[in-house]
Order: sequence, then C-alpha cells, then structure tokens
Amino acid sequence: MTTQTQTQNVSVNNFEQCLKCSICTVYCPVSAVTPLYPGPKQAGPDGERYRLKSKDFFDEKALKMCLNCKRCEVACPNDVHIGDIIQAARIKYSTHRPSLRDMMLANTDLVGTMASPFAAIANPVLKLKPMKAVLHGVMGIDKHRTFPDYSSRKFESWFKKEAAPTQDQYSKHVSYFHGCYVNYNYPQLGKDFVKVMNAVGYGVHLLEKEKCCGVALIANGMPKQARRQGEVNMQSMRKAIGQGHVVLTTSSTCTFTMRDEYAHLLGIDNHDVRGSISLATRFLHQLIEKGEIKLAFSSDYHKRVAYHSACHMERMGWVSYSTRLLKMIPGIDFVMLESQCCGISGTYGFKKENYERSQAIGDSLFQSIKEAAPDCVATDCETCKWQIEMSTGVPVENPISIIAEALDVEKTVEINK
Amino acid sequence: MEREHNNHYDVIVIGGGITGAGTARDCAMRGLKVLLVERHDYSTGATGRNHGLLHSGARYAVTDHESAVECIAENMTLRKIARHCVEETEGLFITLPEDDLNFQSTFVQKCNEAGIRAEVIDPALARVMEPAVNPELLGAVKVPDASVDPFRLTMANVLDAQLHGAEALVYHEVVDVLIEQNRVVGVKLRNNHNGEERSVYATVTINAAGIWGMLVAQMAGVKINMFPAKGSLLIFGHRVNNMVINRCRKPANADILVPDDAVCVIGTTSDRVPIETCDDMRVTAQEVELLLAEGMKLAPSLGSTRILRAYAGVRPLVASDDDPTGRSISRGIVTLDHEKRDGLAGFITITGGKMMTYRLMAEEVTNLACEKLGVAKQCTTATTPLPGSEPVAKTKKYSFAQKAAQGRHGTLDAGISSGDATSDALVCECEGVSVGEVHYAVNKLHVHNLINLRRRTRVGMGTCQGELCACRAAGVMCDGNAQRTINDLAGFMNERWKGMQPVAWGDNLAEAQLTARIYQRLLGVDRLASERRVEYYET
Amino acid sequence: MGGGLSGLTAGIALAQAGKDVALVSAGQSMMHFMGGSLDLLGSDPSGNDVYKPLEAIATLNSKHPYTKIEDVSRLAGVAKQVLERVGLATTGDTTVNHWRITPIGGLMPTWLTVQGMATVADPDQMPWHSVTLVNIINFLDFPTKMIAAGLRDRGVQVDVKAVTLPELQVLRQSPTEMRSTNIAKVIERNDLIMKLADEINAQVGKGCDMVMLPSVLGIASGDKASQLLRLINVQAAYLDTLPPTLPGVRMQAMLRKHFTALGGTFITGDQVTGGVWEGDELKGVTTAKLEGDVLKAKHFVLATGSLASRGIVADYNHMYEPALGVDIDDLGLDRTTWAKLDVTEAQPYMEVGVATDAKLRCQRNGKTVANLYAAGSILSGHNSVKLLDGAGVDMLTALQVANNILNQ
Repeated sequence: MTTQTQTQNVSVNNFEQCLKCSICTVYCPVSAVTPLYPGPKQAGPDGERYRLKSKDFFDEKALKMCLNCKRCEVACPNDVHIGDIIQAARIKYSTHRPSLRDMMLANTDLVGTMASPFAAIANPVLKLKPMKAVLHGVMGIDKHRTFPDYSSRKFESWFKKEAAPTQDQYSKHVSYFHGCYVNYNYPQLGKDFVKVMNAVGYGVHLLEKEKCCGVALIANGMPKQARRQGEVNMQSMRKAIGQGHVVLTTSSTCTFTMRDEYAHLLGIDNHDVRGSISLATRFLHQLIEKGEIKLAFSSDYHKRVAYHSACHMERMGWVSYSTRLLKMIPGIDFVMLESQCCGISGTYGFKKENYERSQAIGDSLFQSIKEAAPDCVATDCETCKWQIEMSTGVPVENPISIIAEALDVEKTVEINK
Repeated sequence: MEREHNNHYDVIVIGGGITGAGTARDCAMRGLKVLLVERHDYSTGATGRNHGLLHSGARYAVTDHESAVECIAENMTLRKIARHCVEETEGLFITLPEDDLNFQSTFVQKCNEAGIRAEVIDPALARVMEPAVNPELLGAVKVPDASVDPFRLTMANVLDAQLHGAEALVYHEVVDVLIEQNRVVGVKLRNNHNGEERSVYATVTINAAGIWGMLVAQMAGVKINMFPAKGSLLIFGHRVNNMVINRCRKPANADILVPDDAVCVIGTTSDRVPIETCDDMRVTAQEVELLLAEGMKLAPSLGSTRILRAYAGVRPLVASDDDPTGRSISRGIVTLDHEKRDGLAGFITITGGKMMTYRLMAEEVTNLACEKLGVAKQCTTATTPLPGSEPVAKTKKYSFAQKAAQGRHGTLDAGISSGDATSDALVCECEGVSVGEVHYAVNKLHVHNLINLRRRTRVGMGTCQGELCACRAAGVMCDGNAQRTINDLAGFMNERWKGMQPVAWGDNLAEAQLTARIYQRLLGVDRLASERRVEYYET
Repeated sequence: MGGGLSGLTAGIALAQAGKDVALVSAGQSMMHFMGGSLDLLGSDPSGNDVYKPLEAIATLNSKHPYTKIEDVSRLAGVAKQVLERVGLATTGDTTVNHWRITPIGGLMPTWLTVQGMATVADPDQMPWHSVTLVNIINFLDFPTKMIAAGLRDRGVQVDVKAVTLPELQVLRQSPTEMRSTNIAKVIERNDLIMKLADEINAQVGKGCDMVMLPSVLGIASGDKASQLLRLINVQAAYLDTLPPTLPGVRMQAMLRKHFTALGGTFITGDQVTGGVWEGDELKGVTTAKLEGDVLKAKHFVLATGSLASRGIVADYNHMYEPALGVDIDDLGLDRTTWAKLDVTEAQPYMEVGVATDAKLRCQRNGKTVANLYAAGSILSGHNSVKLLDGAGVDMLTALQVANNILNQ
C-alpha cells in the first residue's frame, strides 16, 4: 500500500489538479459576454469544492449558461476536465424539469421523423413570420433563427434504395453513424461520404439501429433518455465492430459525445467501442499515412477555404486530421481561422434567452471569416454550419463534402484498385 | 490599592485562545470589568491547530468517563449556542480487520454510560453513508461527532465579550506579572507592534495561556508541571469524507479524519517536546509518513488526494498536583487557585481540558473568580447564543460568496456590505471571500495584517494557498505604506509555505512553483521586501 | 513538444527554415504569467541586480543552460528579431538591462519589454515627475494603492484615478470574471477605445507627464492597445497586472499565429504520452488524443516546461520526466531536500530538470539520444525565479536547438 502513496492524483475529473492559474477564464466564450456566468474556474473546480460540502452551493441558473464547448479543457495546462465537472454537477444536482421547448429541441430525431414527411409544408411554415412569432413567444425559440430545412427524403431512405444494394461489392467495409443532421436536414453530406468511401474501395453500411447521439438531451437536462439512446447505439456498434467494421461519422460532436461524454457524463461503459468510433477525415488521413489509399483530385477545382475548428473537434484534438487532409487538395487556397467558438453550441443558440449571447460569442469569428473572404468555410460540425451561414452568409461545408467535390472519382477508383 | 479607574479591571484574562476568549465572555456576561490580552493574534496556539472536531465524547468513553460526559454535554450546548461554527456531520467509529471487533461492544456500552448515543450499524450501511470509508471495515458505530471551526468560535466569543463590555488587546504580551504582598495585582504588557510597555491592574488575573501558561506562572513565581505534547495534522485539498471517521479502538495516532469546511484533516501524532520548541513547530517527514499511512486506513483515497498543508499544535498536558513524581497526567480540566495552592492571591490558572470543553472551563474559572470578587451571578453562557448563531430564515437566494460568508459569520453577515459590484467582487476565489467581507473583517474583527485576515475569512486557505488573493487583499488593505504592505505580503506567503513545505510534492509543488513565478518573478515580492521572516506567532 | 515560449520559438525557427513542424501543446502556457517583459539575466546568484547581462552571463556556473549556447549575444539578437517579425516590437537589448514596473509598484531589471509598457532606464532616476495612475473602477488585479506607494517612495508624484464605461460596469457584475483579458474582450468587441480615451483624458490634470494604465487591451494583437495610447493627450504606457497578464497572452497568441502561418501544425489540448524507440533513436511519439497514431519525425524537441507546467513531475518518491521518460538531473536531491524552509530562498527543486549534453540533446538510460533535444525551462541547472533568466533561457536554448538541428 505504501508504495502507492501519493504517486498519482485520481480525483474525479482531475478537479484537484487545478492550480487556480485562471488560464481557462481567458478562453471561455461565455463569461466574456455575460457577467451572469461565473466562468469555468468558479463554475468548475472552485465551485465543486464547495458543492462537495453542500449541494446548496449548486447554482442551476448559472451553470446552465455553460455551452459545454470544452474550450476551458483544451486551454487547461493541467488536464482538469472543467467542462465535465460543470456538466456532471448539472446532472447530479439539477432538480429542474425540461420545458416543452427544451424537449422539442433536444429530441432531434423525433422531431425530424415527424417533420420529414411534411418537409414541403414544414419548411415554409417554420419560416413564416407568424410561425416564428409563435415559436419565439410561446416556445422560446428565437425569432432570428431559421430552422434548418427538413429534407423531404431522409438519408436512410435514400441509402436503402440507392446505395445499399451496391455496397457488398467492395472488399473492405465500414459502418456509418450518419446522425440526425444528415438524416433529416442534409442528406447530401451522407451521399458525399458514401461517394468518397466507395471511391477508395470501401463499402458503407448503416448500423442496425441508430439513435440520436444524445448531445442535445444532455444539454437540455435529459440525461436518462440520453443514456437509453446511448446504450442502443453502443449495442448496434458492438455488432458492427464484431463484423470487423470501424464506425465512422461526419460530425465532430456526435463522435465526441459517443466517445467521451457517454463515459464521463452518462456512465455508459463504452471502453470496448470507443476506439472503433472515428471521424471520417481521421480515418482517411490514417489510411493515406499508412499508404493504403490515395486520393486524386480534379485539376479544375479551385476554392479559397477557411477552416473553422469546431469546439468538440478541438477538444478531441483531431483538427489536424481534417486540415492536413484539406491541404492535400491542390486547388485549395487554405486559410486557418483562429480557433474560437461560433456561439451556437447545438440547441443553446436556438433559445431566445441565449440568442444575443450566442451572437456576441461568435462575433469575432464572423469578423475574421469576413476578413478572410473565403469561397467557403470548412468545419466538421453541423451546428457551426447553421450559425456561420446565418451570421456571415458564407457557405459552410464539411471537409468530406469538399473532398467529394474536388475528387476525381474515376482516377481515385483507378489508383486504389 | 486603588488604581486609576480606567486602568483597573475586575479580571485580566491572559491568552486569546478559545479558553481565554470563552472566559472573557463569561466574566463579561456576569457583569465583571474584563480585559483580555493576547500576545499575537487570536487562536494562534493550540486553538487554531487541532482537528476542528466537535467530539461526541465517544473517543474518551472507554478510557476517561468524566471527559466523555463533559464532551457530550458541551457538544449539545455548542450546537445550540454556536450554530454557525458547527457543522452537524455525525461521526463513525470503524473497526478494521486489524482491530479487535470485541472492543466495539465495550465501546458502545461505555458510550451509553456516558450518555452518548452510539448506534451500531451494518458495515454495508456505513459504506453507503460514507462512501470514502475503508470498504474493508468489519464494524461501524455511529455517534454524534461534528465539525467545528475554532477560529470562528474564538472570534464569536471575543465579539460577545466585547458586546458585554469587555476590552480586548491583541499583540499585547504579558512580560511581567505584578505582585504586591503575595497578591497578583496586574501585569506588565508589551505592545508587540511598537514595543511600548505599560501596566494594567486587576483584582483577579486569570492565566489561560495554554502551554505558554507555564511561562506565565513562572513569571508569577509559581510552578506548574506541564508537558508540551506536539500533535501534527495534514489538511487535504477537498472533502474526501462528509462524516467524521474514527477508529474504534483505544485512542492512538492519526485515527481521526474530520471534514472541515471545504477540506478534511487527518491527525494527530503525539510526542512530548521541550517547551522551548513550542514557538516554532514544524512537521517532520516521519510524521507526514505516519499520518498518511494511518489516514489511508480510514479512507484509502487519501493516498491519492492532494495534501495542502501540514501543521502542528501543542497540547497543554498538566501533571496532577497530587502526584509528586509529576508522571501522572491529568486529562481533564485543571483549575488552579494559586491562593490555596501557592499562597499567591489574585491569580488563577485554567488549563488542561480541550477545545471542546472550553465553555465549561470558562464557567469553572469564572465561578472561582466571581467567588473571589464576591459576585453572585449565575453562568448563562450555555443558554445564550453567540453572536452570529441566531437562527436565520432561509428565504433569499444567495451568491456563492454570500453563502460562504454566511457560513463563516452566521447572522453577522448582515454587517458585510453586499449587493453592489464593488463589494461583491471576489478577492479569494477558492473560498469566496468578497471585498465587502475583507472590509468587514478589517473594520470589525481585529485585523492588522493578511494573516489575521486569513483567520477571520479563510482568504488564502483554499487549494492555491494565496496565489492571487493575497495580493488582491494586500491591494485592498494597503494603507499607503508600500514597504509595510510588501513585507506583509512576503510574510503571508512565507506563512503559507510553512505548511506546504513538509508536503511539497505533486500538485502542491507545481502550485508552489507557479506561485513563485507570480509573486517572485512577476511581482518581485522577495526582492522588494525588506523583511520577510515571520515569527512563529504569525504562522 | 510544448506550446510555450521555448516550443513556439523552436517551432518558428524550424518552420522558417522550411521544416515541416508539428507542435503538441498540453493546454496554454506559462506565458500567461510572464507579463510584458522578457528577462535574459536580471540577478546574479547572490541576488544582486544585474546591469550588464552579458558580463554576468559569462560568470555563471557550468551547469547553467547558457553555457550550451554558442553565442548568447547573437542569439539574443535573433530572438528580438523573431519577436519583431511576429509583430511584437520590443525595447531593450543585451548591452544593458532596463527596469520594468511590477504589478505591486517595484522595479525589476529586464532585457526586452513589449513596446507600450512603462520602463525605466535608471532605477535611481525616475523619468517622470508627475504620474497619473488610472485604473478601471473595481478592477482588483491592479493594486493601485501599492503601485502609487511604490512610485512615491521613488520621488514621483502620483495621482490615482479610476474610470469606467457602462459596458465595463456590466462586466463587474460578475464577482470573479473582471479579469484583464475579459476587459480587453469587452472593450475590443464593443469598440470602446475612443470612449475610454475620453474618460482617461478627463482625469489627467495639469503637470502630469505620464499616464499609467493597467494592461487590459490587446488580446490577439497589440493594435488596440497602441491605438489607446495614441489617443491619450500626454505620454502614456501600460503596466503589468496580476495574471492573466495580457501582454504575455498576446505574445503567445501572436507567436502561435505566426507559427501556423509558416505552415506549422499546432496540435493543442493534447500531450505526448510516450516515445517509439528504435535502439537509442526516437522514431516517433504518441499522444493522448491521437491515440494509436504515431507522430513521426526526424528530430524532436522537448520543451514541455518546468514542474509548474508538468514538464517535470514530482511525486512522493522522486522527480521524473513524464512524457518520454528521459533522464533527469536530480542534483542528488530527495524529497526532504527539494524545498527549503524559507519560501524566498532559492528552492533546490526548481533547478531539477532534464539532463542534456553540450548540444542540448537528452539522455535516456544514460545514453545520449541523437535526435531528441531539450529547450526552455525543462532544462536543469537554473532557477528562473531567482536569476530572472526565464525568457532568455526559453528563447535562446530553443534557437540553439533549432541551429543544432539545422546544422546536422
């Protein structure tokens, strides 16, 4: 026993490793725009010491303002999981019941399922002024926000009909966790993914059962439902992994949630699955590094692309996979944007009480995008896409879509044979 | 022997620890004219250097029935009169595989005999009630232990004494005891800030100076046989446990783990030391090792929890007067009427006992003083709440700092200005000390320097040990004298380091280096200070 | 490895020379505490102020990292140029130290100071007669009473003033978050420079020949900070505040931006967890976030900092280098001798660091690793708190390491 004495600190979320240096406060996007948020140091490790003494020190209203962007964790030189401390405190102490609005925002797949068949009606209706007024007034969804269009045909439906039958012809295979956004709002990204993977010789398969990763449920105070959905995903993934598949995604947030938040916040045991969940750009980069695949790009592709590091992408530490991949495209004039939060943070920015804060947070990013004047912004997160497109008018694409667009498919197929 | 009126008191109490403060309060409440003198700051001796445990008495039940009975009675009293100083945590006495489980039944029986509610609980239940407890425990008994803040308790007694007309002088040291015709008539005081000396007079002088009481007695020409017993303790960075954890066996080293405020404390060791060393107690590497090894048996996670500080106090153990060899130690309260004992009138020593029983000690000695003064008032300290501990209605939603301040000052927090941006700004972020609270402490709680401020408010007592807050507080307190402020800051940082140095590894050492980067490299405190050695009394 | 001053300096020097450089940084660096000045050597080992740093460097003992620099004077010049190229103009050079004003009003010798900060050439002769010290109302990290008292002791007349703007008052509604960096964000986002200048100018009385302000502007670049100084009617300059110190934050941001603009890959919030060895050669490193992927390179630079940055770790039993497990020079100390009783004494633990050969190459199991170098405060043999040589060691050893790599 004595040999183990004081050789390592194992406090929950490393909260005791905090040296009170206050570096995290420099990088918190929220406290810079509102004095009501006590900042990551107070809300996190400082507050936690007192919460351990008494739950009276839990301040629901203040902690709710945390975006869960994890920029504090990225900044922390001592590996304190500041964001996790804050979110875990919310899960542990909150007595608040989510409102109808929060439930609706959080249940991305339920709402998507209901809206998609009626996309032709839902999209225009959600954009109508009277409807927006109702959403704003009654529901608390900010009137400035435009709901992302619901696609009339879900990605899953397209895939089953158009892509699934041809996937078995490939010798190598991956599973795809498409996420709600690809399924309901932007199937094109999923199609782009299939195109790229097929071009390099990989067949794509959907999971037996896919549920929303649950990020919005966690943020909106519904950890139990998030846990249930998480368990379903883990089950499906275990099956896919059992068949030798890697599970790929095209969303940094879904990936981060399933790899890290499941275990840290929801107590889901994902240790056997975690290593096999990856982001498509990372997977491609690894294959290229290993010399297993090559990409060929068309010579007439030219674009100025500015890369925005989404918060959870930054937290995963995987930005360099996407950027190095993009830099491989000869026709790209690459600009690296200063890494900062865009302010949307999933459903956070949709709430009318957060709208102004959300825009203020993103303001400096929007400025730098305008200064960089790119043809498009690249980012690995779908909610960043909504926010940046709405706030700057500059189109935003996932790196996979950019690769799909720049790819010389025939040549790529050829050199990967 | 009529002295000038303003220079003559009914009672002079020597010593600003909990016993002296409690005695001054009791005397003042009985209408006596009282002067309390303390050579340094309040609670700088054993009062501020123990566990902060509100004993149920269970620890003494088997070996010392009388102490156990006193403890449980005072325990119940302090919960009522010092509500804001006490946290009702409850305590466990656990039996580990290496202990004799048969001891448990004796223990419970003796507790019951002393009137201590002791409830045997299933080990499985104990693990649920206190998840930090060693899971290998074989048995557990629940008792009404609690935690108490000795700094607050002392201050509350001083404040109440003052409210009842007592005068109090800190940084005034007794340098001579004035004797006329076999009677102590007063003391000569030296102001430790400026060196000035003056005499004050009283009909009765009470020596409540803890271990240093033997030196005071020496000045009066009487001998008390005391044995300084050093006890070392470790403070951990956060609360590992929420209940007091004790070992269910005969009292031994390092067998109590107490949750105090936002930290927890393991202790103690026990070693006889020479009186000359009592002014500069340092914790040795061997003591740290022992405390850790034993502490991990109570709560294994202590082995991987950050240690903030190590500190040591000195128990004033007294040899029984009736034993000429001086070997037999009296564990209970010792009131020495020097008139009867030594033929020296007007002088009483109150010693022995423990922080837990300070009020009872004060009552006993005040009874004796009243007897000598011919005053027939009854003691009311057991039923009168201390200032700050009056009940509060829970209505308002408080900020972190307001809640923390209310925890520290009870209802006296009304005296802290708050609600505006200036007052609410935090000086100390770890412990939630606001500018308003600093001003309150400086104006109302005898604060002369940063170390005093720390004892009143917990500034610098969090995990960073003063990394930013010390300088912010110095900035708030600065009186325009740059050198004095910088020296105060250097002294404060050295005092913090004194407790960190024996446990300087891991996060603590990283923290120390960061703090050195800030205070020494960026601010230049070490190069700018003309004086940075702090005397023991300030540490 | 290491995104602080030494890591970034090495990264920039190597990227500038056309190398493909990846930099792994475990969070933000100690630059957040360094203020606006860089020290070369401010104090001799006995604690006396150093006036001519080059002369004093020549007398340092053989363990000091400067003994492994081929030409201190030349590399110090290069370091100044690096900062300049990044957009950080500085005052000062190696011939003679100048003096900075510390956040508690004292003077300390230093080598380079970011332009716009108040400096003094001769500590016995203050260049100003009447200073107006202007704080932001309720900003606690700038102890004006102490600064004023310190300046007055040196014969300067000081007026203490404070100003605010409605937006800053809103910020102070937070009990904790009115920090230098957040003030900068509020002022810069809302474009309040002109208004702030008006408020400050209104406080400046007759005869004032210097306005001193807390460093609360210029988080990403120094433009806004300089703009404000230009708008003030008399000569004006900034002083360092309590941390986070804005000039240091800015310096780090600008160095990093420059590094990525040179094509460097900056991997942040990640840390090196081990090496892939082939005999005595380091082939690659693994990190916490990149998991199985190995970062392969021809050369490696270990610049993960001192104990405070976790470049070195001390536990109950010993000190060690946690990333690659290279040898450290523990100076024969054990836990009971790491720390001295008086905090202001030179603390032995601060001199513990990795062992290197004359070329600043690390050792592993007693053998030199040919392609692994160490730079900055992870090096053994110096105490930057006492010698005031931190930034100099960081930058000069980094440049030397870059040279050693490029000359191979």
